[in-house]
Amino acid sequence: MTPKNHNRKQGTIDIKNLCFSYEKDHPVLRGVNISIHNQERFGIIGPSGAGKSTLLLHLNGILYGQGTVRVGGREVNKDTAPEIRSRVGMVFQNPDDQLFNPTVEEDIAFGPLNMGLGPDEVRRRVKETLEEMRLQGYEKKTSHHLSFGERKRVALATVLAMRPEIVAFDEPFSNLDPSMVEQLLHIIKDLPATVVIVSQEIIPVAACCGRVAVLKEGQIITTGPSYEVVRDKDLLRSCSLDLSIYESVCKKIF
Amino acid sequence: MKHDYLDKYSRLDSFIHKLDPRVKLICFFLAVVAVVSEPRGDLTGFPFYYLLIILLLAASRIPLSFVLKRCLIASPFIVMAAGVLPLSYLLSPGASASPSSAESMWFHPLSILLKAYAAVILLTLLSSTEKFHRLLNGLQKLKFPPVLGVMSALMYRYIFILNDEMLRTTRARKSRTPGKSRISRFRIYGNQAALIFLRGKKRAQDVYNAMMSRGFQGEFQEYNGFRLKLRDGLFSLLFLALYTGVRFGL
Repeated sequence: MTPKNHNRKQGTIDIKNLCFSYEKDHPVLRGVNISIHNQERFGIIGPSGAGKSTLLLHLNGILYGQGTVRVGGREVNKDTAPEIRSRVGMVFQNPDDQLFNPTVEEDIAFGPLNMGLGPDEVRRRVKETLEEMRLQGYEKKTSHHLSFGERKRVALATVLAMRPEIVAFDEPFSNLDPSMVEQLLHIIKDLPATVVIVSQEIIPVAACCGRVAVLKEGQIITTGPSYEVVRDKDLLRSCSLDLSIYESVCKKIF
Repeated sequence: MKHDYLDKYSRLDSFIHKLDPRVKLICFFLAVVAVVSEPRGDLTGFPFYYLLIILLLAASRIPLSFVLKRCLIASPFIVMAAGVLPLSYLLSPGASASPSSAESMWFHPLSILLKAYAAVILLTLLSSTEKFHRLLNGLQKLKFPPVLGVMSALMYRYIFILNDEMLRTTRARKSRTPGKSRISRFRIYGNQAALIFLRGKKRAQDVYNAMMSRGFQGEFQEYNGFRLKLRDGLFSLLFLALYTGVRFGL
């Protein structure tokens, strides 16, 4: 599952002092600052309710908060959102939310068609993406007849067909068996794009991301190389992300 | 999850299924117009209409039981509409026992019944021989307002979301209801219904976010284009000729 190289523009992300709240007096994001480089694998970890998914929705203008979000130097706002959405692909946590067309191929074609590409180019992209994701033969299948792992792959394919410069994953490792996690790690490693992952699963995030930020109660607590953040047990414990329970279980088993 | 609603048999492979959706939309719509515009109480055309419907049913390979079930669902409304007529005749002050009045009393409701069931069967045939999204694409091609098409598509999707949530909450309820429930059923169903709508709303928002993030701007783009074939022309000619022939007594 190695997606082909595609033409890349700048896949940088700059978030400055981003604040957002769904309801008054209940801020979800409180002055978030993040800078992500082109082609980087960047992880954002944090406990449930930390604001990870909300933060992700700001990257392509699904949500707008106070502060600035820049993608490839372009500020994300209502005017630039259509263009930004073709550059930032979003893989949602629940593939069922992402797959709403009657067949797999129509789901994959949905993004490229909305980008205004011609029918031949769309068909070519659908075919290529199906090959890249080893989904040949799935074209006419209905997504709700597939297994969860297959649906996750199709959901990713729907985004990759748009050839985005940035791919943002929301909890990509949840509900996957270990072999699927391994496959996904390979895909993420080989993606010719900047990758942003928000997750509670520290180990796979650390395995594929060079840098990690820890988000807690809408604020970035720390940002640094994955191996350093993962070793900071006090920090993880303070964010309810302590791994020591797994350590003790592993010691007992192995 | 079980997902079979409007287009349960749309994956069958029959002559009717292969027709262009635009042809089916026009033909079935005109057929419904021909049937319902029959003069009140005139039953002479109905054996022919129903013969054509039976032929269409046989050609489409849609199970008769499925069509009858659909008719059954519509029955309360149809029977109620038809049943009011004899009552209005009986209760009207000028009601007489003349043979023509007695005929009207029975023929009018009967023609309403026949018209309504014919329309239900034709529409069931239309929705069962074509995938819902292709019907919407067909409507779009026929210059149906795009906003109505998008609304229908989203509404259709919302049915699936609600059904998913209903199945999930029902499982959760059943798994915690060993034996007879001690809590009032109506209270449980009420709570469940409220929860389904709340969760359905959240899921619908998530689906919409996913659509937006892939560039959706309020209009569905067509992937597989339509092309009229010879069979479409032949079918529409024959179909419309037969229905107009019966309607105008040719």
